[in-house]
Amino acid sequence: MEIILNTGSTAFQGAVIKGGRKFTSDYTREAAYCNINPEDFDALEKPWFVKVTNEFGDSVVCKAKKDDRQQKGEIFIPRGLWANIVVTPLTECTGSPKYKNLRVKVEKTTGPVLGPVDLMRDVYCKGKNEKEWQGEN
Amino acid sequence: MTSEQILTTDEKIICDDVTCPVCGISCDDIYVELTEDAVTTRNACVMGDAKFRELRSSHRIKKPKINGKDASWDEAIDRAADILIKAKRPFFFIGSETSTQAMGVGIEIAEHLGGLVDGNATICHGPTVMAIQDVGQVQCTLGECRNRADLDIYWGCNPEDSHPRHLSRHSVYVRGFFTQQGYKGRKVVVVDPRRSTTAEHADLHVQLKPGTDYEVLNAVATILQGFEPNDTVEEVTGISKETLYKMADMIKASNFGVIWVGLGIASTTGKHYNASMAMRLTQIANKFSKFVILANRGHCNVAGFNEVLSWSCGFPFAVDFSRGEPRYQPGEYSCVDALTRGEVDACFVMCADLGAHLPKKAVERLFKIPVVSIETAEGPQAFISDVVLPGVLDGMESEGSFYRMDNVPIHARSFCKPPFDFTESNEDTLKQLFEAIKRKEASASTTVDIRGSDTITKEAFARGLDKLVMRAE
Repeated sequence: MEIILNTGSTAFQGAVIKGGRKFTSDYTREAAYCNINPEDFDALEKPWFVKVTNEFGDSVVCKAKKDDRQQKGEIFIPRGLWANIVVTPLTECTGSPKYKNLRVKVEKTTGPVLGPVDLMRDVYCKGKNEKEWQGEN
Repeated sequence: MTSEQILTTDEKIICDDVTCPVCGISCDDIYVELTEDAVTTRNACVMGDAKFRELRSSHRIKKPKINGKDASWDEAIDRAADILIKAKRPFFFIGSETSTQAMGVGIEIAEHLGGLVDGNATICHGPTVMAIQDVGQVQCTLGECRNRADLDIYWGCNPEDSHPRHLSRHSVYVRGFFTQQGYKGRKVVVVDPRRSTTAEHADLHVQLKPGTDYEVLNAVATILQGFEPNDTVEEVTGISKETLYKMADMIKASNFGVIWVGLGIASTTGKHYNASMAMRLTQIANKFSKFVILANRGHCNVAGFNEVLSWSCGFPFAVDFSRGEPRYQPGEYSCVDALTRGEVDACFVMCADLGAHLPKKAVERLFKIPVVSIETAEGPQAFISDVVLPGVLDGMESEGSFYRMDNVPIHARSFCKPPFDFTESNEDTLKQLFEAIKRKEASASTTVDIRGSDTITKEAFARGLDKLVMRAE
């Protein structure tokens, strides 16, 4: 389903990152979910998990949440590791990426939602456990 | 906070009126009680409380790390200096929640090495800052908003989540000098595509289609100037004309109005044009009543970075020193663009988490180049850093000044010491790093100085900008 993605802060996601708990399950709970309008939620066949894909083909799996605060045709993912996988780096000559009003594709999936460490290893380390260090160890 | 407000006993440290180093409001009424293993706070919000608990947390980084392994402080500083000196186009990211003094030293190092320098504003209110350059901002202090404002317009922001004490301290619920009735004497308008928690406090919630802020702002400005907005506005923005007229009437009826703009206008389609239009609307609204516009800056002292860079080299963010003089170009020297193009070959990150908050393409670049960070806790930034220098919690463990989101500097005193002895503050860390860089440069037979040398500058540019250089020639 073609849909508009908005990302943004929430107080509890803020508390996790300010409290230095980014590599704990708290971060997954507070930042790896996707709020969906009830009508869209039903149209997606009431998913437990959704996969969000951007125009570059980057995708991330989040927990789906039914939320009547959303307008139809829009989804919301809290600011964080998961949302930024799909945020595009095009800044329109301002330096600021398009964190809001981003056209994405959302579909039902079976999960799982990766934790922060696993997500970074999966997306950035290309199968390794950590970064390939520059220079001697 | 004066020193009389700090009570130190054998068992605990008690202090009052502490400045909170978390969000842009920088509340200065926090009460903190610190024992050997626990922290108790009063008046702090959920985010502030979490930050104060960092003073006694188990995951605090207390030892420097090189390539993921513990190292000594001298080794770490030495390696960090090596990485930055060897780089042809080093990039310096000056984060927030650290003192203005530390930012000043960071910018000095960037200038010395001829690197790029950028700060948290670039991925936050950078477009709003560009709009200030374009149009100009009518602004006042938070205290004036608290004491005078009878109309609060929250445009593209949700302070209930981003600044939890905003409504109770500075806008809706507080009783001010001229607003004795508190919330009964104020009107609230929220412009947000989501029905956010802030929207529940609103007298008028304008639930526009995403990315149509410019059109709505323009339509309200048109009405205020006595003209009829185009009929297509309803279809484009999803807002009825009645609602737009109602909003214009509320602006006209107010005695003192504030437009609080958030990232809802700066990060969406239109970017700085939205912010420019919001500032123009403020100027037009001043024909009817006193009106100001303030940006809800997300982090403590993110405004400070703009101030320090502006007074030191004339530009608010995205500055390049590679030719020896500061040059400003958002979209070229800004963090996300420079990283995505693969142009920078080493990165210094201070008090910010680029690993978690930049788009994927930019973080991929950080995985390919050496990264030096000042970090307080394990997380994505420490994960991608070749060298991690333990950070000090400025405003708690060391003193310094913070700029509030209304650009008012506040002095924050310290009430305890860092849990290590090799550095006293982030400013001290940077000064030690700067000394190490100068020492290494002096001892090296060939000085690496990008400034003033055309050949090296071209080599540095050739890494990602060869086409541009050819065109320029």
